[in-house]
Amino acid sequence: MSTAESQDIEQATSAIGAPDSKTRRYDRQLRLWAASGQHALENSRILVLSSSATATAVLKNLVLPGIGHFTILDSAITTPADAGNNFFLSGLESVGKPRAQEAVQLLCELNESVEGEAVVKDISDLLQTEQGRAYVRSFSLVVAHNLRKDVLDGLSLLLWNDLSNPPLIVVRSAGFLAEFFIQFHEQCVAQPHTDETPPSLRITRPFPALLQWARELDFDKLDPTEHGHVPFVIILVRALDDWRKSHNGAPPSTSADKQAFKAAVREMRRKPDEENFDEAEAQAWRVWQEPAIPRDVEALFALSPLSSPGLAATLPSSKLTPETPNAAFHALLRTLDAFARSDRGPGCLPLSAALPDMRTDTESYVKLQTAYKEWAGIEKAHFKELLGEKFPDIAPLMTADQLDTFVKNAHHIRVLRGTRWGEWDTGAGTLATSLTTYACEAATATHLAFCALSTLLNDNPDGSNVTVESLKTEIRKLVGENVELPDEVDAAVGEIARAPTADMPNVAAFLGGLIAQEAIKVITNQYVPVKGYCVVDLVDSWTSIIGQ
Amino acid sequence: MATAPTSTTTANGNPSAADWQDRYHHVDQVLDRPGPRTDPSFLAGDEVKAFLRTSCKILVIGAGGLGCEILANLALSGFKDIHVIDMDTIDISNLNRQFLFRQKDVGKPKAIVAAEFIMNRVPGVTVTPYYGKIQDKDDDYYMQFNLIICGLDSVEARRWINATLVNLVDPENPESLKPLIDGGTEGFKGQARVILPTVTSCYECSLDMLNKPTAFPICTIANTPRLPEHCIEWASVLEWPRVHGDKRLDTDDPEHIGWLYKIALARAKEFKIEGVTWSLTQGVVKNIIPAIASTNAIIAAFKIATSSAAYLNNYFMLIGTDGVYSYTFEHEKRDDCPVCGGQALDISISKEWTVDRLIEMLVEKQDIQIKKPSLSTATKQIYFQAPPQLEELTRPNLERKVSDLVENGDHITVTAASLPFNLMVRVTYV
Ligand SMILES: [Zn+2]
Repeated sequence: MSTAESQDIEQATSAIGAPDSKTRRYDRQLRLWAASGQHALENSRILVLSSSATATAVLKNLVLPGIGHFTILDSAITTPADAGNNFFLSGLESVGKPRAQEAVQLLCELNESVEGEAVVKDISDLLQTEQGRAYVRSFSLVVAHNLRKDVLDGLSLLLWNDLSNPPLIVVRSAGFLAEFFIQFHEQCVAQPHTDETPPSLRITRPFPALLQWARELDFDKLDPTEHGHVPFVIILVRALDDWRKSHNGAPPSTSADKQAFKAAVREMRRKPDEENFDEAEAQAWRVWQEPAIPRDVEALFALSPLSSPGLAATLPSSKLTPETPNAAFHALLRTLDAFARSDRGPGCLPLSAALPDMRTDTESYVKLQTAYKEWAGIEKAHFKELLGEKFPDIAPLMTADQLDTFVKNAHHIRVLRGTRWGEWDTGAGTLATSLTTYACEAATATHLAFCALSTLLNDNPDGSNVTVESLKTEIRKLVGENVELPDEVDAAVGEIARAPTADMPNVAAFLGGLIAQEAIKVITNQYVPVKGYCVVDLVDSWTSIIGQ
Repeated sequence: MATAPTSTTTANGNPSAADWQDRYHHVDQVLDRPGPRTDPSFLAGDEVKAFLRTSCKILVIGAGGLGCEILANLALSGFKDIHVIDMDTIDISNLNRQFLFRQKDVGKPKAIVAAEFIMNRVPGVTVTPYYGKIQDKDDDYYMQFNLIICGLDSVEARRWINATLVNLVDPENPESLKPLIDGGTEGFKGQARVILPTVTSCYECSLDMLNKPTAFPICTIANTPRLPEHCIEWASVLEWPRVHGDKRLDTDDPEHIGWLYKIALARAKEFKIEGVTWSLTQGVVKNIIPAIASTNAIIAAFKIATSSAAYLNNYFMLIGTDGVYSYTFEHEKRDDCPVCGGQALDISISKEWTVDRLIEMLVEKQDIQIKKPSLSTATKQIYFQAPPQLEELTRPNLERKVSDLVENGDHITVTAASLPFNLMVRVTYV
């Protein structure tokens, strides 16, 4: 089922009549990432290196929600052991046949709209030729599971070398332990969905219509029902306006002020059971706790776009070109800064039209909602004008949706800067410190055990040289010979020496879920992906992030 | 690497004919030797493999999002005797995550399709389905399993199985203690827990951790609607019964949803409220929780891991919206838990309270969550919701003071259709 054959999701859900079958199929996920996220998934092309149990578990969770295309690149022939631990192989019937082909066939059954391809080749051969390298770079995301160390080092460098190359998710697992790392340059998240503080209602900086309403409302002339239905926003704007008039224009600041302000709000009520006034008192924090610009957002204003791998660029903002990585997002970010500083602006972020529910009657609520919507429209138009002035080359490339989403979520936007795979491992001091840092010991020990395992498997892929001692010898090379290894190292290496090449079905399923979640975040630019190493220990039931 | 498969009948302590050499190469790595943190009581080697692959019998409750994952995991891990119960049939909206089902299976029973799929894909595994309710089965049925894993989304069903397994425990018979692994997901978040009935905290002990479903006051719905949700509730709660009388609203019937949508949309237009959509209508009336395959995979896999690595002690939470954050903690047993605490729930009320007021208070109590309770003491019927004759007979008591009917310090037995046990309440007056 292609996008063209089905109705647009938004359209389908707003038209009279039941939604089409595609919308129904994806209903439970559209509630998480909406049509825009689904569209991004459907346009993605994912390359997975290996068709191990873990690799197919990741793919299962990406094929089901409907990515556009996946390729499994794997030269392995199915062994009896593979047939025993991988749900996407046909038992003994698959043994002796190319594993990638067997897996692709069964994965494709999960979702007819997803295109799957098996390439029975070795990634190390592909990396030898310019054509092969270009092929790898042509995907939107690359996932590698238990890839040989020397090949992985080459692949990660190749993908890191150009800002336009796809992100790489590196997964390593053995027995009950695992870790993964996402190599990306920059992730710009306009919709983090992190349930943080709600956007400002502008109580301290009321827009004209709001202030006028609050000032002109004659509380004494209202009948009892109307009085009990004045929206808390209006009560607070009025109370603050009155406060300022009697305090030389200053808002309440000291703790005594705040108590006095709340008392003033209580004074305004006519009967003790007016719930709208209770609400106003409970929401009074908005008067003193709302910064003009949230600190995390303000910090982003100083961020320069990337221009070369790993380096904070020196290009001034006026040099932002359509070729700059995430050009649209950076242009929007610059415009947000300009908007907040603009003489014609409110001195803060643009107004969000989203209004929470409150104790009031229908008429007042709809009137308030309309006022917010109208003013948000005016500020958005101003924002758009600034964008066009500052970035005449980039502004036309943006969709109305992109602009809307950014402005609507301006209070929560996030930018993540990633690091190169393996970069953290080159600093012996950093590793040694992390190994003794409270709450990081076990995760660091496990990460080091995986680094050691990769080195050992590079020479002996069957794991015959993996012992507690050989692993610890490798770890000492990484952190320095003089560093005393804590007990957590024994707990980690012991577990890895027990099962150095085991791809356990349920660990694979666990990782398959975690990594697919991260892949979805990276592809949709919604929700916040992991930065650093996510370490998993299913003996003691924990996950932990290190090396951020 | 291609080796011809050799079918063996007794290799590695596996008597099953379907097992081939190296089938369990990966799993055996951890079963053949203990790790540094393995419980000393774990006996590595053939014995544990034989238990897992021949004698262990597992029940999976629910063949939905979590159930599909659990079944596949168990089968690959080597369990051979698996039972599954589910009363639902397959809907198209299941296909984005319930990976044992295909388009052609829509309308068929989940338990049966899932069992067939697993048996086809993983040779040598027997999955016995039951298409029906967990309440259809008796204690003897539940006694036959070594472990019960839940992939349920209904609070009521979970309370029932929890209470049933707690009641099953006979201190004289260690076999009667059936570990229960439970959990659920919502979007990018999920939790899993292990319940050792009577030993650890049970499902009922933690009932107050549940989010109370959003309920809009009838007064708002009827008089001052502001949100699209208020219009939808108006259509389903007030208009449906008014127009359709006794005809039950079937939230799975697209025609019913379509009717509610039309009515809600008209009301929204009348009040100039924006945002009523088909999708929102369905979401509100069915109380839809967003669900994706990946989160189900994490939680299901975690559940299996807790039965093979080490028992989780006892509650695991995962939040995947902002990076990956997980948290494990021990949820404490509640002494006054009505299921496993063995004590009555103490409440103190005013001497002036009527029976009606007491009922209202019980319904609002977050830690017991009951609708329509019936009340009695050892000697008296206080109020019964059903049958109609008994309701009529006891209705006058609603207006009477509780203190006129129950002595200070005496017990009231509370029963309700949604409550799988009798709740004992000890009343004191202040
Ligand atoms: Zn309990």
